[in-house]
Amino acid sequence: MNLDWLDAFLVSGLFFVVMIIGLALLLHIQLGLARIANFGVVGFWGIGMYSFGVLFVKVDWPFGDPWPFLISAAFGSVVAGLSGLLVGWLIADLDEDGVLVGTLGFATAVWILATTEQDLTGGALGMGGLRFPYDIGTVKANETLWLVLLIIVVALILYYVHRVHRAPYGRLLTAIGDNEPLARSLGKATFRTKIWLFAFASAGMGLLGAMYGVMERFLETANIGIDITLAAIVGLILGGTARVWGAVIGVAISVGVFDILVQSYLPLPRDWYSQAIPVLREAIFGAVLIIVLLFRPLGVLGDMRRDKLMRSMHGD
Amino acid sequence: MTDPVEAPAEVRPRIHIEKVVKSFSGRVVVDVDEMVLGEHPIEGLIGPNGAGKTTLMRMIMHSTALDQGRITLLPSGAEGEQIELSQLPTHHMASHGVVKSNQVIMDFEKLTIWDSLLLALAGAKYEQPLRIFSESDLFQESAETAREFLDFFSFGDPFGHAESAGEKKLLDIVRCLMLKPKFLLLDEPTAGLPDETTDKVMQVVRELAVSGTSIVIVEHDLNVIWSLSDQVHFMAEGSVVMRGDPKTIRENHTVVEKYLGEGHV
Ligand SMILES: Nc1ncnc2c1ncn2[C@@H]1O[C@H](COP(=O)(O)OP(=O)(O)O)[C@@H](O)[C@H]1O
Ligand SMILES: [Mg+2]
Repeated sequence: MNLDWLDAFLVSGLFFVVMIIGLALLLHIQLGLARIANFGVVGFWGIGMYSFGVLFVKVDWPFGDPWPFLISAAFGSVVAGLSGLLVGWLIADLDEDGVLVGTLGFATAVWILATTEQDLTGGALGMGGLRFPYDIGTVKANETLWLVLLIIVVALILYYVHRVHRAPYGRLLTAIGDNEPLARSLGKATFRTKIWLFAFASAGMGLLGAMYGVMERFLETANIGIDITLAAIVGLILGGTARVWGAVIGVAISVGVFDILVQSYLPLPRDWYSQAIPVLREAIFGAVLIIVLLFRPLGVLGDMRRDKLMRSMHGD
Repeated sequence: MTDPVEAPAEVRPRIHIEKVVKSFSGRVVVDVDEMVLGEHPIEGLIGPNGAGKTTLMRMIMHSTALDQGRITLLPSGAEGEQIELSQLPTHHMASHGVVKSNQVIMDFEKLTIWDSLLLALAGAKYEQPLRIFSESDLFQESAETAREFLDFFSFGDPFGHAESAGEKKLLDIVRCLMLKPKFLLLDEPTAGLPDETTDKVMQVVRELAVSGTSIVIVEHDLNVIWSLSDQVHFMAEGSVVMRGDPKTIRENHTVVEKYLGEGHV
């Protein structure tokens, strides 16, 4: 197979886009179904990435690959899941503004921890020592295989979200997002459902963080800024929650356009890429977020047409 | 009485309300010293607007917190322990068979009618995050029950959403029925329903009562109360001012007319 067209830049660009798609899909369940606006995506992603990285690098592993990676990644997911459980427990009964402040606050706390716990994380200087749990030859081959593995993980997330819409669990989440007191009066443990949803989705975000850490081989606090959250939210909102593919398409046309198309295929002056483009991207995503916060267009995305769905599942 | 519907009081689930008080911004809205609901199969709860009927029902469901007092469920004779409802979270009520329909329209905008019924029928085991293939099991277990009610009440398009206010109101009641209530509270169930639907709801209510469910019904249409209930509680200004069988209440012209206006008895 000729992979010449696949340069290093494109591999890392695609990796980023696919990873954000994964985050947007997890957000689709939280925000699209249960209507919990998690603005702290990067916090769960980042705590997974750092927990993974610290364990992977600091432990003198007695076993060979891929075990150090698998154990550390599981650890990162569990830490992210537990923090999701804790944050979920704190915010589950708050109103929209409380959820917003709580999740944003959590992401900030993770950033502060990563910056100040220098012995563990290397602080602002960053932490190296990460590597792929295999070596199949060239750096490019390793990175490409890692991209393929990420695509498999995200495809599984996509399939899961697709199934959730067609399962009693998805119906329950939709009901909770729609009218929680009514769901409660039907005997649904809405609080517990919400905090477990937070835990599971956060564990998934943590796993994606761990995979990203491996791809970067170097953990920096600059990685865990608000732009990860922004990218996932903007992508989800652009694509809408009417169908599961919305998250995929939305991220592809937002992050994909900026991080791949504009940067590698538009004949723009070199120095724009390091200065103007990232700033412009940040400004546009930030503006979209402000619009989201001001006008809360979460309800106008168009939701999954359950009438069609039900007819296709149970109609004659 | 020779009413064949009447089962002995001790076998029906009852709700015991003791020294229950609720105020909103300093104004006492409910203040009931003692009250037992469910000694008769179907009991009416009547009184003027603002008497506190809805608030009292919400307090029983613990969807409105009590300022003071205690509400306990005394399960039917055979089933042991009494349950302190005022200590239970709202979502535990249904599992004890205590279910309430809503006076104001409550609906899931995003769920279809079928969804609503399946949601009510689904046990927690079907709704676990990892059970992404359980829909067909749930459907197999529940479809027959759901269909029976969908046909009986002749919903327009059960794969669509409830459209009219009447349909939403009816759906709220049907959701309650899906929960197999042992103690059913109905807050103005017939308001906004077409006559033939009202008749059907009343028919189901009677059948439920015969099979041992205790029913308390708040209703403005007093004809429904007089024809349906075995016992009537009359509430005014937060307290129960009178109780008795419908005949006794109707004989008390002065009280009823004072609160409800003329022509009601
Ligand atoms: N959530 C609330 N906040 C403030 N006042 C309320 C609230 N709910 C009910 N009330 C007041 O309590 C009184 C009793 O209301 P309600 O229980 O709905 O009466 P009923 O059902 O008998 O018509 C009314 O005056 C109503 O305005
Ligand atoms: Mg009322």
